[in-house]
This record gives sequence, structure tokens and C-alpha cells, in this order.
Amino acid sequence: MAGKEPCPLIVVRPSRCIVDEKFLVLVQNLPPGLAVTVHALIHSEDDDFWEAFGHYISDDRGCVNVAKDASIGGSYDGVEPMGLLWSMKPIPGSRPGLRLRKKEVHTPLVVNISVYQGHMNERFKDTRALACAVAERWYMAPGVQRVGITTNGLKGTLFLPPGAGPFPGLLDLWGGGGGLVEYRSALLASHGYVSLALDYMTPKTSGNGTQHVGNDYFEAAFRLLQEHPQVCGDRIAMLGLSFGTSVALGMAVYSPVIKPKCLVSVSGSHVMPVNGSLSDVFAEIKKNAHNTRHDEENRIIWRDLLLPIPDDPSKKVDVGRIQCPVLLLVGEDDQNWPASESAEDMRQMMEKAGNSHLLTIASYPGTGHLIEPPYSPHIRASNFMVAQARTKVIVLWGGQTVPHSKAQEDAWQKTLVFLEDHLYGTKHRCPRPQN
Amino acid sequence: MTWTPLYLLECQLRAVGQLRVSLHRKMCNRQAQVRWRSAGRPAPLLTARPTRALVDEPISIEAHHLPSHTPITVRANLTSEDGDLWEALSHYYTDAKGAVNLMRDPSMGGSYVGCEPMGLFWALQPVPGSREGLRLRKRDVETPYAVHLSLLEGHVNPEDTRGKGSEEGQELAKTVVDRWYMAPGVRRIEVRQNGVVGSMFLPPGPGPFPAVLDLWGMGGGLVEYRSALLASHGMASLALAYFGHKDIPGPLNRINVGDSYFRAAFQLLQKHPQVCEERIGVMGLSFGVYLSLWIASQLSVKPRCVVGINGPLGSFNTFSSEDGQQESFEENQRHWSYDEQGYVSFREVSLPSNIPSENYAKVEDMCCPLLYIVGKDDLSCASLENADEIEKRLHAAGKSHLFTRLSYPGAGHLIEPPYAPNARVSLWTTRPAKLFPPEHIRT
Repeated sequence: MAGKEPCPLIVVRPSRCIVDEKFLVLVQNLPPGLAVTVHALIHSEDDDFWEAFGHYISDDRGCVNVAKDASIGGSYDGVEPMGLLWSMKPIPGSRPGLRLRKKEVHTPLVVNISVYQGHMNERFKDTRALACAVAERWYMAPGVQRVGITTNGLKGTLFLPPGAGPFPGLLDLWGGGGGLVEYRSALLASHGYVSLALDYMTPKTSGNGTQHVGNDYFEAAFRLLQEHPQVCGDRIAMLGLSFGTSVALGMAVYSPVIKPKCLVSVSGSHVMPVNGSLSDVFAEIKKNAHNTRHDEENRIIWRDLLLPIPDDPSKKVDVGRIQCPVLLLVGEDDQNWPASESAEDMRQMMEKAGNSHLLTIASYPGTGHLIEPPYSPHIRASNFMVAQARTKVIVLWGGQTVPHSKAQEDAWQKTLVFLEDHLYGTKHRCPRPQN
Repeated sequence: MTWTPLYLLECQLRAVGQLRVSLHRKMCNRQAQVRWRSAGRPAPLLTARPTRALVDEPISIEAHHLPSHTPITVRANLTSEDGDLWEALSHYYTDAKGAVNLMRDPSMGGSYVGCEPMGLFWALQPVPGSREGLRLRKRDVETPYAVHLSLLEGHVNPEDTRGKGSEEGQELAKTVVDRWYMAPGVRRIEVRQNGVVGSMFLPPGPGPFPAVLDLWGMGGGLVEYRSALLASHGMASLALAYFGHKDIPGPLNRINVGDSYFRAAFQLLQKHPQVCEERIGVMGLSFGVYLSLWIASQLSVKPRCVVGINGPLGSFNTFSSEDGQQESFEENQRHWSYDEQGYVSFREVSLPSNIPSENYAKVEDMCCPLLYIVGKDDLSCASLENADEIEKRLHAAGKSHLFTRLSYPGAGHLIEPPYAPNARVSLWTTRPAKLFPPEHIRT
């Protein structure tokens, strides 16, 4: 490029945004009709590289607009404004079983977006790009506060929106993978909810040996939110994913303390009710361990551990007694948990009990277990640490990338609208600005 | 547009026959007196998207979950790097759904009126009681301005918001937006090379990039934010110091550099491995326009284009070819003029008729396009007269096709990147020989 040809330019707008917002990727100053590849790269906190790319042809003005033009190859095709994010996969040669999850929520996901000449599928690292841009994607909006919680024996992180409030509250429960996962709570606080991400799978070590938490742990967490000066005590929701749903449903029905205003279940089940120590529940599930299957790549399929859905009412949460609205988000290709079958059974139970008007089910074909915030890369399987046994396995979550990614967008939108309707209390249908 | 008292607005509205609007306002005020906030209700939501924006990106501000048809105020606050508090307020009414959308709804009073989606940013002013002559300029471009946006109850004016404890003006909700001069991936490089003093900003990527030599006026020092913003749009940019900078040898109140300095700066860009050497433009504001025209016409470097904002084509003080100006800027104040408030203006200094024609940049020798931007209310520089003179000279040389003029009625001297607050008057480091009370200086 001696200065005779125009200098290509790639623009991302906005260059900094919240992870659930769309961006616009525009390439300009190319020669018309040029084959190019638009490429996105993330260097994860675990030191892995994830990438996605689309093949385009510049128009007669020398432009490519990812939001309007069709990709004709690469990791996604068609008109996919956000394909550069949701179709990301680990680069060739990466360690197997990776999952992209942000641990440090004070810093953004940094996405390097470049345009290369030609339709490339590999060797991006060794090729000089025509132009580059950088986008930052944040889980936390400015002004959101992060507070570590260790009172009352709890282990969690509280995220508070800016301002005095009061705000609705939310108890955020992840699944059997355990640990303290903060990013969804950070994101929900960016939408105006005081959100408590709770670590509940880490066993407590006491004089009697290691044991799991019981009801009182979740009640203490709920009470913490209720009593917080910036929370509206009667507007607290529960959001559970996977095993977190079992906890949420169980607490909502059986706990005299926990009275959620509404409940969101992502890829969850009501089977094996949590009404006591988690240890009891795990022991119960373990009895079905022989139902564990493997796919052709020897990846674990755990969905049958809860199947068939029992008729015995003592083996499932009595959802007929639920008194708050419930949103069930279900992937029909969930290989980890029988979310579809459970949702159907819950619907029947609630119809029989006369409270099915409280139930909304959104069921997504081709969608797996890990229904994450939108534009998160889909993974069909990943490494998983079995807590008690301390062994690492590869678990099959399910889902096909395209339908799963569309489901993530829709499910998140439904979640936000559901929470806003029930916690902010006014039924307006203005969609959140999505750029 | 600064302050419009509400009563004046009502008179104006009546005059155009919108009596029903004022009646509606009376009704809403009565409703506002009913305390709508009952126990257990969450606070309303104030949202801004994007929450982290470049300063030239528009931001969508909305409020939801308020009662319908209720007066509210949206306020922006910013604390400058010098610790001064800047503020803008605007008065709105919620719609039937209890929402306000600044992209759609008109402000009925406050810092601006009408539908102004970015009014809260460009209408920022120092709060009452601040020091005089302030101007909002970011020195550290690697960090953002944090703007605190709040929703206040009722229609509030700045003097009402200073913690009086009344219910009117109580903060209902808040959000924060970060406004950046630098996009992610832009690199800032300090330049102290070949005697050149400046800061270079490079876009992300291997390049090569077109480039801009970025020149400010006689305020001196090193102003980086425009260059940072240009690099955020894909252009390498060198913000160049030439006056009043500690790293340039010589007295701070003189221009101690000349042709060789500006040539070296231009060549530094040309030789940079990530710059397209044939795609370098020069941009100047105020005195920087004169320098830009000089560079483009007399220095044997070949910029691809020039952008000039409100500046002269000549310098009253002679500008020597190698060593800079022979006099300090303050020594000859014969054409400095003062108004009745004691503000000094350099308008007369920059009138083409006051400048010996041998001191003009030879614009007729320019070979590249020139975009000249005129603020028609420029009281610091005779921009209109200079634009006319430049246009005349280019026309005489058969080069009219190189000249493009953009004129903005009501715009002053300091035409900055968009959505920046306007300073009609500001403090300057240079002091006049005579002191006029108050010691205010207008630029």
C-alpha cells in the first residue's frame, strides 16, 4: 500500500457496549467486488483463542456491512449481524473441551475484528490484515457496584445498579458445575436489578466432615436481599439454570421464608426436589447413575439420570403449589438434563392443580443445555469437574450452533421482559434499546 | 441556547396559540404534588445506550416506570479533571406509559428546549458559583469522562438542586455513561524526536493509515483529544505542540519554532512505517489555520488536504522562516480590543486588512483541497473575512475548485468535536498589558 490505493477501514459501532447489545461492523474503502474475510478473535482469560469469520464480497462502493450483507462461508453464513460472536469456536489446535466464560467482570471481553483479503479459513495469525478494529464487550455497566458477600455463612457476590434505588432483587443460581459465577448477575444489575450470585455447590467443611448446604443457606441468601436497604423486599425473583432450577423451584414451594415474585428456570427440572440438604438430593440422583450414557465420542449424557419422570409425587417438586409466575426456558436438544420432559410434566401438574396460568414455557428446537446470555459462543460439549469425585470428564450439553444461538437471544429477551413485567410492575412492551 | 425562563417560554407558546400546552402543564404540576412514590415500589429506570461511547457517538437516553404525564428533570453532571462541576438539566413530561425518550421528546425548559437527544452533553455548563472562564477540555485522553445522569422529581433549576432537602428535585434514579476520546485499540505514543514535540495516535491494526497533522491555536501546550478521536476513526494523527510547551526550548510566550520544525513534523508522519506517506492532511483551528496554510503552500511538503477552522491566513506578528516569531504574542497588543465587560478579543488582530499582505500564507500556491469552517459568531477571529480573502486569492489563481466553505450561523470560535460544551468566554494563560476588571479574557 504505497498510498495509491485507498486504505481499507473497518469500523465497529459501538466500540464499547454491554454484552447483550448488538454492534455494527462495517468495512469501507475496499475495491468493489473484492472477496474478503471478516474475522473476530478473542483471547480468553484462560489463554485460549476463540475465533469466528465470515466470507463476503464488497459491493460496488467497496463496502461490506455485516448487518446487511450475506456471508457466503466461514463459521456462519447468511445475513448474521452478530455471527462474528456467537459462531466463535476455539482455534484449531486448542485444548479440547473449552468453554468461554468471563470470570473477571470488571474488565471487558476484548474482541479483535479484522478484514483479510480473500476467503480464508485458516492461518489468520500468519496473514497481514487489511484493517483492524477492537470492540470491548462488558458485563458490567458503568456505575454498577460489585460487593463480595461472606456474612451469615454465605458465599456470593452482590451487584447493585447505580443510584439509591430501591430496586427489585434477584437470586441467581447456576448449576451443578458449582463455583461462584458472576457475569449473569453483573449483567442483570446493568439492567436495574440487585442481583446476588450465590455459590452453593462448594461443600462446607465442618467437624462432622464435608456436607452440602441445606434450606437455611438459600433462605439466608433470600433474606439478605429482602433486608438490603436498596432492595424492594417484596419484589425478588429467582433465576436458576440447570440444577439451580431444582433449588429455585424447591425453595419457592417448600420454604416458608422464600417467596419469589417470579421465577425463571433455564434448562431445569422439578425432579428430585430440593427440600433439605443437597447431599440428600445428590444421593438420590446417584442411584440412577447406571443411566449415564455416552455418545460416539465418549462424551457423557446425563439426561437419563432423572428419567423417566417419576409418577411418585414425593420425587418431584409439587409445582401445583407454586404461587408466582414461572418462565421455563427449555432446549429441545438438551443432552444434560431432561428439560423438555420436565417442562411438559410441570405443565400437566399445574393444569391439574389449576395454577397453569402462572406458567410460560419457551421451548427451542436444536438448542442445548447451556442457554447463556446472547452472543455467547455455543459449545456442544465441554470439560466438567465432577465435584465430589474430583474427576474431569467431558459432558455433552447438546444443541446445534445456529438454532442454539438464536435461542439464546430470544430467551434473554424473554427473560428481561418477564422480569421487568413482574418486578417493575408496569406492562410496557417497549423493547430495550438494542442499537 | 442557554437559559430560557419558564415564564418566557409560556409567553412564547401563548403567542403562537398553544394555550392548551400551558394549561396541561398546570394540570401536571398539580398531579406532581401528589407523592406518587409509595412504599415497596421500585425506583424508576433511567437507561443510556451505549453506556460507554466515543464522544462523537450519540447516546439514547430513556426513563421508564414513572407515573404518566408527570414533570421530571433529567440532569447530567460531570466533574472535570480540574475538579469543577459541570451540569445540564432539562425538563420533560412523561408520556401516557410513564416514559421519557430523549430521542423523541422535547425539553420544555432548562439548559435547552426542544428535542435534543444530546443536549445534556453539549449544554453542560459550570454550576452556579463556579470559577469564571472555565472551558471543558480533556487532558488525559486515555481515560473517559464519567457523566452521571439522574432523574429528578419535578422541574428543577440548577439553584434548586444544591441539597436543599426539598422533595422537589429529589433524585429518583441514576445511571452513568463513560465518554471516550479514544476507541479501544488506539495507541498513544509520546513524540520527542528530531526536535518535534507532540503525541501520535495510531488506530489498531498494521496499517498503513492516512494521517493528519493536528494544529491548535495560540492557547499553547499540547491538545490531544481531537487527534485521539481522529485515530478512533482510522487516521493516524499527530497532535503537534509549537507554542507554550515546556519541551520546546525557548521562552514560553514566544513561538520559537519555524519552517524546519513544521517540516520535520510532517516528515515524521511521512516516514512512519504505518502511515501512507501520500495521504497526509493538515488540520488547524485558529492560529493553526495560518500554520496549516503556510505548511501547505510554502514548505515543500505536499499535504493531501487541509481543514481550517476559524483561523487567519496571515499573522500580524512576523513569522521568521526558521526561528519562529520575533516578538512574543503579548508584546504587540495594538490590535487587541476589549468590550464593555473587559473581555479581550483578537478579532481585530486577525482581520486581513490589519495584516501586512507580505505576512499572508501564499494560499495561491496551494495544490490541495481546503475545507474552511466558519463560525459566523466568531468574536475571536475574523473568520468570515479570512474565508473571503482566501477564497478570493484562490479564485484569482484559478483554484476555486480547491475551496469548500462550511458556515454556521450562531457558532463561535471554538468549533470542537460534536456534543462538547460551548465556552462563550474562557480563561487564557496570556495576560494583557493593562488589567481590566474583571480579569476575564475571551477567546
